[in-house]
Amino acid sequence: MTPLVQLIGLTKTLRGQEQPRPILTGVDFTLHSGESVAILGRSGSGKSTLLSLIGLFDRPDGGQYLLDGQDITRISDGKAAALRSAQFGFVFQRFFLLKHLTAAQNVAMALVNGQGWLPRRQRREKVLAALDQVGIAHLAKHRPARLSGGEQQRVAIARALVREPRIILADEPTGALDTETGNLVVDALRATTERGCALVLVTHDADHAARMGRVMRLRDGVLHPEGVNAPFGGAAEWAGLPSDQAGGSSHEPRHARPAESEGVRA
Amino acid sequence: MIRLSGRLRSAVIIGLQGIRARKTRTLLSMISLFLGVLSVTVVQAASQMAQRAALADVELIEGIDGTLYMSVEGTPEATNATLRSLEGRSDATAITQFPAIIGEPNVRPVNEGGSPFDEQWGGWGWSGGSVRIECDPTGYCYEVIDEQYLQTPIGAAIELRVVGMSADIRQFRPFRLVAGQWLDFSTDPSYSPGLVLNREAAKGFEMYRVPAEMRIMGASDNPTPRILGVVEDGQRIPMAYGRLDELLNWVNVGAGPDPYYGGIGLEVLVAPDATETLQVLRANLAAAGIGEDRLYVRIIDSRRQVEQVMLILRVVFFGMAGLVLLIGVAGILNVTLATVGERVEEFALRRAVGTPRMLLAGIVLAETMITGLFTAAAAIGFAALVFKVAGPILAEVHYSLAAGSFPWEAALAGIIAGLFAGLLGGLIPAVRAARIPIASVMRA
Repeated sequence: MTPLVQLIGLTKTLRGQEQPRPILTGVDFTLHSGESVAILGRSGSGKSTLLSLIGLFDRPDGGQYLLDGQDITRISDGKAAALRSAQFGFVFQRFFLLKHLTAAQNVAMALVNGQGWLPRRQRREKVLAALDQVGIAHLAKHRPARLSGGEQQRVAIARALVREPRIILADEPTGALDTETGNLVVDALRATTERGCALVLVTHDADHAARMGRVMRLRDGVLHPEGVNAPFGGAAEWAGLPSDQAGGSSHEPRHARPAESEGVRA
Repeated sequence: MIRLSGRLRSAVIIGLQGIRARKTRTLLSMISLFLGVLSVTVVQAASQMAQRAALADVELIEGIDGTLYMSVEGTPEATNATLRSLEGRSDATAITQFPAIIGEPNVRPVNEGGSPFDEQWGGWGWSGGSVRIECDPTGYCYEVIDEQYLQTPIGAAIELRVVGMSADIRQFRPFRLVAGQWLDFSTDPSYSPGLVLNREAAKGFEMYRVPAEMRIMGASDNPTPRILGVVEDGQRIPMAYGRLDELLNWVNVGAGPDPYYGGIGLEVLVAPDATETLQVLRANLAAAGIGEDRLYVRIIDSRRQVEQVMLILRVVFFGMAGLVLLIGVAGILNVTLATVGERVEEFALRRAVGTPRMLLAGIVLAETMITGLFTAAAAIGFAALVFKVAGPILAEVHYSLAAGSFPWEAALAGIIAGLFAGLLGGLIPAVRAARIPIASVMRA
């Protein structure tokens, strides 16, 4: 089966005012439909950079990026925007909801993006369905200021889901939430994989990572497999995390599974 | 219904959301732009009205563009040939002017010389031979006033110029009927000449009660005129218009020329498509010995000349209004740049969810152009209100401004100015918004 996403030897160097700093030195990564992957790593290790490359926010300096087997490494800006709209959903640590818009309007933002046009009724139906998926359809008319952190993040998830993407990229989506609310958000994200959506979760939280199908660690610019919980995000036991990160997630039972031989490139 | 493209609709929807979210800033932009758009609207309205006033006068006095004007000398041969050529024709008219005094006989008119009633231009006017020309042996000629005439008292009489027409002049000079009725050329001529006064003459008849006895230069007797109506003819001096055939019952055009005023010269106005009439006229004049070299002929193009002058004035005033508009553009540019700076995350997020750079630029431009449109609506409304309030004053300045509505061209100019200012003021912020990197949301 052709992987949904395949990164081959991806490299990226950050160029700012300081010395150029290689942040990704050769990342190999494969993602299939319905699979959930957690990416761990220290702050500054390049997790977000990797996510921005997968999400076509940025271009790699080297390597190859295949989406559905098509090489999109040097894709144009316009095509990248179209792919982001059609294939990807994004969830960030900060919710990035526009305070002057209601929850429904914030979700609709992903539909009113110049990539095709939906009549108002269809937009409304899709928005309500997305909000319903994350259990907050009743808050559609609320503005962000009247929502809790968890509710706001669920609005952000609904915004990511509303175009029915094939890949969800979540960059520390629980970073600003308490544990209980964070679990609810991860539940909502996990639920998307049951509908065939692939999920990449960047997190520092071992508990949340443990609930993904596969866990990888970004270290020295390359991805290392740390453990596999269950195929494509199903219930599984994961035994690959160091003891300081292995949290006691009570959401899923754990099963051992051999690590796949990917994620490392010399 | 116009079907807008998805991107355009998206830009308009998001632009409107942005305006609603930042009402104070929108208001600030509108305030900075208001004077500029207003000045463009006012300049356009003023130039329209000035052109309307200028053209109204020039068409009344000179004639409609394309009309052929011919001046025929005041000899009996020329006059007779002209009148014979145009008899029964409505696509050309021969006109001539007679000095006339309506009122008591044997008195001097209140406006000697036929001057306007509020002014005294001097001169002795025409009073049935009160002035004669004498020349000394060296050839120097001068006016001699009849001493007895100077002893004559000023009485209830008004001096004016009577214009006689062989056909309706209004197809060439569109006089506006103010009161009463215009001349009827379809009936048999009356011995009591029907006259239509212009406004100045009507003012004289309002100011002075005068008997209905008319002295006309060259007339054998004094007819009793019938005043039929009042027209606006663009003239400042008192005038009256009548049928030439009625006036010729009293004036002998075959007589020799008056020593002071000359003969009864004719002016002929011919419609642009009246080629047959013109051919007949030229042929009859030639047969009477009046060759082309003795005719003064020109095609009236006064509208074009006025429009050229107005164009120069308009360019100058629009240049000034444009400067005021540019100041407004600087204001909207400043406010929008600040707004884009505050919305970096929003634009980055929009790019993250698939919004193309062009649409981001479009959103900013939509906001500034919609703001420009709102400003235009406010400026046009304000200008129209002022126009309505100042209407009666304008009507006193010039009759052509009395019944006019606010010129739609001014409203259009205001809308264009608003949109242009919005486009200009939003261009740099739009480029800046389009260049915001998506990583702004990743690293926030």
